[in-house]
Amino acid sequence: MSTPEARAEEHRQLRWMRAVSLLEGSTLLALVLVAVPLKHLAGVPMATRIMGPIHGLAFLLYVWMLARTVCAGGWPRSEMIRLVAAAFIPFGAFINERRLARRQAVLAACD
Amino acid sequence: MIYPWLKALHAAAALTWTGGLLAAAMAIQACAGAKVPADTADRRRALDTVRRWDRHVTSPAMLLAWVLGIAIAIQGEWFGSLWLAIKLGFVVFLSAMHGLATGTLKRLALGSLPSPSSALRHIPAATVASIAVIAVLAVVKPF
Repeated sequence: MSTPEARAEEHRQLRWMRAVSLLEGSTLLALVLVAVPLKHLAGVPMATRIMGPIHGLAFLLYVWMLARTVCAGGWPRSEMIRLVAAAFIPFGAFINERRLARRQAVLAACD
Repeated sequence: MIYPWLKALHAAAALTWTGGLLAAAMAIQACAGAKVPADTADRRRALDTVRRWDRHVTSPAMLLAWVLGIAIAIQGEWFGSLWLAIKLGFVVFLSAMHGLATGTLKRLALGSLPSPSSALRHIPAATVASIAVIAVLAVVKPF
């Protein structure tokens, strides 16, 4: 991406992607660290019935945004695989968010 | 009482989403096969029209299809069924395909991608195949 219009678009896209990464990571943590223990240790199955679908929606949004961001930015395939793999582990989305922030900083430095 | 309404709206949203995805995928294919230069006004206008449709119709329909699909699964107590787990896998795949298509459209419209990768020509076929599998899973519920 080289035109100022294209760079502005990528900035916007990265900002959204970082927000969705945090959302995906937070809902996964809430599911694994709060809802699942509540279900199995405190006998409150409602916790996973609420958090499960919320995390499912966040994950779909994450996958969609990731494919869009990577494709629009012309990123290498290895980067995409790393970002998708990190979505499946707790805290991985937070690592992704840092990675995206670094990319955004590099982009800003080129302006 | 609300269940058939949720189902009807979900089907409408899913059809709108996948129809828009196919339109976007075909626009990308048209750019890949075109002999005209990448930066012509006509091509830019056509791509802008497809992107506008995607932003205002296809992407909101996708979000609606996700939310209504989950609402149906909760109402019908379908979570835990194998057919739904497989269907969700295809929904993730279609969502990724949509992301790839919109990302590529954006690059084409901004002129930073003269010609799309040949791998993207499989999106329409993959989309149709996924829709067929999803329809069978949702209607027949074989597992």
